[in-house]
Amino acid sequence: MLITFLQVFYTQEPEPDYVEAAIRTVLMIHRAEEPGDVLLFLTGEEEIEDAYGIVYVHLGASWRSSPSIRRCPKCSSSARQKLGLDALLVCSCSGAGGQCACLWVLHAVALHPITLICLPASGKEKRFFVICRSHAEQVKKAISESKWSRPGSGIKIVPITTAKETFSAGDAMRDVYTRGLVTSDFVLVMGDLVSNIRIDEVVRVHKERRKTNKDAIMTMVVKESGAAHRTRPQGDSSVFVLDAETSECLHYEPVSAYPRTTMTRIPREVLESHPEIEIRNDLIDCSIDVCSVEVPSLFQDNFDYEDIRRDFLHGVLTSDLLMKNIYCYVAKDGYAARVKDTKSYESISKDILSRWTFPLVPDDNHPGGHVYQHTRGNKYIATDNSVSLARTCKIGNNTLIGASTKIHENAQITGSVIGQNCVIGAGSIIEGSYIFDGTVIGAQCVVKRSIIGAGVTIKEKTRIEKGCLVGDGVVVGPLAVLDPFERLSRRRDKKASGEDDEEEEEDSDIDDIEANQDKASSILGKDSNAVVWPQGPSDGDDEDGIAAYKNQCVRRLGDDSSDLELSDDGSESSDEESDESSEYDSGNESADTGTSSLATPSLDAFMPSGQMQESEFRIEVAQSLERAFAEGHSVDNAAVELKTLRMASNVPLSRVREAVVAAIVEHIKIVDGAQPQRKEISRVVGRWGDLINKIGGVDAVETVSALQMHCASSERFPLFGQILAELYQTDIVEEDDIRAWYRSPAAKGVGLVGGPTAENAKRCWAVGAKMIQQFDEQESESEGEGEGEGEGEGEGEGEGEDEGGSESGESDGEGESGEGESEGESESESENE
Amino acid sequence: MASEPPANTPTQRAVENLAWKLRRRQIVGSRATALETLLVLRQVISKSRFSSMEQLVTIIRGVGRRLVEAQPKEHSVGNTVRKVLHHIREEYNTATKGTAVTLSSGFSISKFVLLGQPRKQSAPTKAENKGTLKENDPDDPDSFARSLKPVLMEAIQDVLDELETVYDNVSKSASNHIHSDEIILTLGMSKTVEHFLISAAHNRNYTVMVLETAPSYGGRDMAKTLSEAGISTFLVPDSSLYGLMSRVNKVILGAHAILANGGMFAITGSLLAATAAHEHCTPVVVCAGQFKLTPLWNLYHEYGALDFGDPSQVLGFEEGSLVDKVDVVNPFYDYVQPNFIDAYITNDGDHPPSSIYRLIKETYDDEDMLL
Repeated sequence: MLITFLQVFYTQEPEPDYVEAAIRTVLMIHRAEEPGDVLLFLTGEEEIEDAYGIVYVHLGASWRSSPSIRRCPKCSSSARQKLGLDALLVCSCSGAGGQCACLWVLHAVALHPITLICLPASGKEKRFFVICRSHAEQVKKAISESKWSRPGSGIKIVPITTAKETFSAGDAMRDVYTRGLVTSDFVLVMGDLVSNIRIDEVVRVHKERRKTNKDAIMTMVVKESGAAHRTRPQGDSSVFVLDAETSECLHYEPVSAYPRTTMTRIPREVLESHPEIEIRNDLIDCSIDVCSVEVPSLFQDNFDYEDIRRDFLHGVLTSDLLMKNIYCYVAKDGYAARVKDTKSYESISKDILSRWTFPLVPDDNHPGGHVYQHTRGNKYIATDNSVSLARTCKIGNNTLIGASTKIHENAQITGSVIGQNCVIGAGSIIEGSYIFDGTVIGAQCVVKRSIIGAGVTIKEKTRIEKGCLVGDGVVVGPLAVLDPFERLSRRRDKKASGEDDEEEEEDSDIDDIEANQDKASSILGKDSNAVVWPQGPSDGDDEDGIAAYKNQCVRRLGDDSSDLELSDDGSESSDEESDESSEYDSGNESADTGTSSLATPSLDAFMPSGQMQESEFRIEVAQSLERAFAEGHSVDNAAVELKTLRMASNVPLSRVREAVVAAIVEHIKIVDGAQPQRKEISRVVGRWGDLINKIGGVDAVETVSALQMHCASSERFPLFGQILAELYQTDIVEEDDIRAWYRSPAAKGVGLVGGPTAENAKRCWAVGAKMIQQFDEQESESEGEGEGEGEGEGEGEGEGEDEGGSESGESDGEGESGEGESEGESESESENE
Repeated sequence: MASEPPANTPTQRAVENLAWKLRRRQIVGSRATALETLLVLRQVISKSRFSSMEQLVTIIRGVGRRLVEAQPKEHSVGNTVRKVLHHIREEYNTATKGTAVTLSSGFSISKFVLLGQPRKQSAPTKAENKGTLKENDPDDPDSFARSLKPVLMEAIQDVLDELETVYDNVSKSASNHIHSDEIILTLGMSKTVEHFLISAAHNRNYTVMVLETAPSYGGRDMAKTLSEAGISTFLVPDSSLYGLMSRVNKVILGAHAILANGGMFAITGSLLAATAAHEHCTPVVVCAGQFKLTPLWNLYHEYGALDFGDPSQVLGFEEGSLVDKVDVVNPFYDYVQPNFIDAYITNDGDHPPSSIYRLIKETYDDEDMLL
């Protein structure tokens, strides 16, 4: 049918769900208009599928047979191919090596092709966005050289250089949003990922979940590992609280190594709304996130989000208003880890060599195109016959040797990776080290658990202890001895080498360092061109600086955090073993808080957000109510104020109720004489009583118990009976509520530790008992008499109040005198026990 | 491999795609890989332009090399390429010289073994193309391809048919090998063995013991399918292998690749079973399609040939404290020496290990041994 004319209609008001609106319109046209075609444009494949399903159902059986509705997702957007899924690769910059982490060389292959290999698991056509800030040129070059950028590889890679202001993943996401790069669900990974997890499975789960729950905006992939796993980042792990059934992430808390996180706070709401939760600290966060389109916009809305985990995840989970859900996908099989620091670099290298990442192993499927022969003991030696191994050299297990490398006599190499074109001198010992391409190591050297850059020359009889980093092109030795964790880089200016005086340079840091090389040059040997970077926190550092430094230390290659414990006398947890501390939930310190919060998740659960915050909140509520009382606000206005207060400080409703009840009770002036006192009470309760039920929910039983608890610990204890009666009269509390309260164990003072408060609480309960007795009497009376009900009630009330007042007055006196007794009793009781 | 051909045409993309899948192990199993290879080869031949036999062979070899390099451990890829080359030459010879082929197949050992049951292979060759082929015609460079392509397609279809009917053909003689009331031991999940046993069950009543075959536990699936087919099946743990062996009448194994020396690569545990059977003088019979015949000798017992997998099947990744201290070796395949094997049952008849080399010589051309 030809389109003869075009008419534009606007809806009167913004549609909350435009897909639904569109479908409604389509169905209306279908019913009302003459036969013809309706062409509906929707933005995403998912929406098209949804709309198709709905229309299909609505049209009924007669229409199903005819091919009247067709969906054509392919033509939905002009330039887009069949859009399986976009993948977003954020290349975060690591400061330490001076090279972008994704350009780190893992087994003589830059890391990012490995990451790229990990992704196209589902075989769909995809677009990749690579976002990089610094070293953009290097990343671009590397990508254009890789085989992925060739046409026909089925993958489209779009490198994006973001502005220099991009410092964090959050900034990158905001950039993605403002450029409008992603239009459907996407996978977000970091550029330093090594994984063989089938992401398509995760995506499938995510999409299925999205169909039923539109608020499930993100699925994070986490991998199970043991408590003390080499690949699990030490000092950078996190605690996940998951729903056991749906694996929804309920709470997240990062764990830092210094100051050591010894306990975690779990919000009470989590325990309330989920019958079964898992608290896990044994998960490796793979930073593979399947995100929906909303995610970048959330970043845009919250301009202070930086880290995806610490800020975004935490923000979404704790927000009252967003109501978004984030799920975890706990990968049972497969492997995924991030090269975050030198320590994880080492462990991931080990994992690759011992084939955990299969099929991503050196002897086949090697992304760099090198071919290695796999021999017994996980030794990988380049197959092109260019490696020359001396007859007497020893190659230990878990070792990789690149092409054209020469190993001389009596050299010993264990658990190491040697790049291409390297020379290992006679009698050298290399243990657990990573030596990049073109490095020459002289005779009789010892290199232990270190990373040696490309083109380095280490002259004879040099000793390099664990954890050293030697930058590209450095010359060390001969006879040099490097201390553990030393970092060397090449002197920048050739002219300045050998001399300590410096020319004009902007970078004062490096100047300082180069100026202080008197001592170093003697250590490094006479031919060295290296500068030693200083270790330890600089003198001017405050507490935070030291903490950051220590955190960094834990993540160094070869660090077993033992030296940290020893040197660290100020820390309260210095006696704990590092691996014991990592399973924090069995650690001694956390045991008391952790278990108590778990064992009794009911009323008196461990209050998470801090007592501080709560007392602050209490004070604020008191102040706000005082203002309201003094200035005579309307009840509604006061209620609104309380609501915002509650949102702001994120406390449960019951706390607000307690605070309101307390404030009202305190507002009642103590007047001599029963009659004026009663008047005063009825005045206050009559004016403000409604507030109790207007703060956001009605729970009279809680009101009564709040009243009881407050009265028990306040000087207005004698007024309890009267206030309760007044609440009853103003219909804030019903008879049934009082009965329910009376029956509840908390009302009897169960759970309260001895002392005057408990005593008073018990007395309040007794007052309640009297009241209930009266209710019963009234009932029998009213049943017996049948007439004059109101009269009887009035009488009963009066009596009850009088009695309550006089009784409580008496009991007050008794209570004071009896305090000593009761305490003595309880003491003796406890002794007997 | 560094100089991969740029993949621009759809054909090359298909090749790259398959190579990629092989690398990522998205296609595993010898029959699946053989089928995929064949389909890609068919596409390559139908789309490519060539004006002489040499050009065609070079093209196919190039593709074959690319695929074999992508996954050297899936031997059936190379085997399929060799077989296609062999068939193409055969067809070419028939087309040009007529009866050259029948001469060469005159002393075929498989024919010799199968004397009692002549096969349709000796059908009269197509004579209609005789003499019409002209190579390297400068006037019409496509004429060669045009006239040969239909024949080539037919040749590939033959290979495809053979692959598709491989299970039926292997299990044709099942009832000759399995007798009533025998106890058969098998392991792993092999489709060929499964079909073999099920077809024997049609007219024999026997018992199968299936080893669990850790760490892949393919034996469990095997036991399930066999018992569903109505065979009395026992699933036994691997450890009880030796104890049971004295009661077993026959061991039937599947193979990953049959080597020219008569040995084979088969799923882990096969060597154990074969050794135990050897000790008890229990016959070991291997069921495999002809496409698993591999011109390889494994003389030096190359370690890497066994294709080591992910240790997580043996030691969970969660066992953090162990992962750091233990090296776990998880080979997919065992190399079983020829002296442990009594017979190969293929879709091309039954053969002793000692005549496999001859079979390979007949199936493939000598010049294709190295692709």
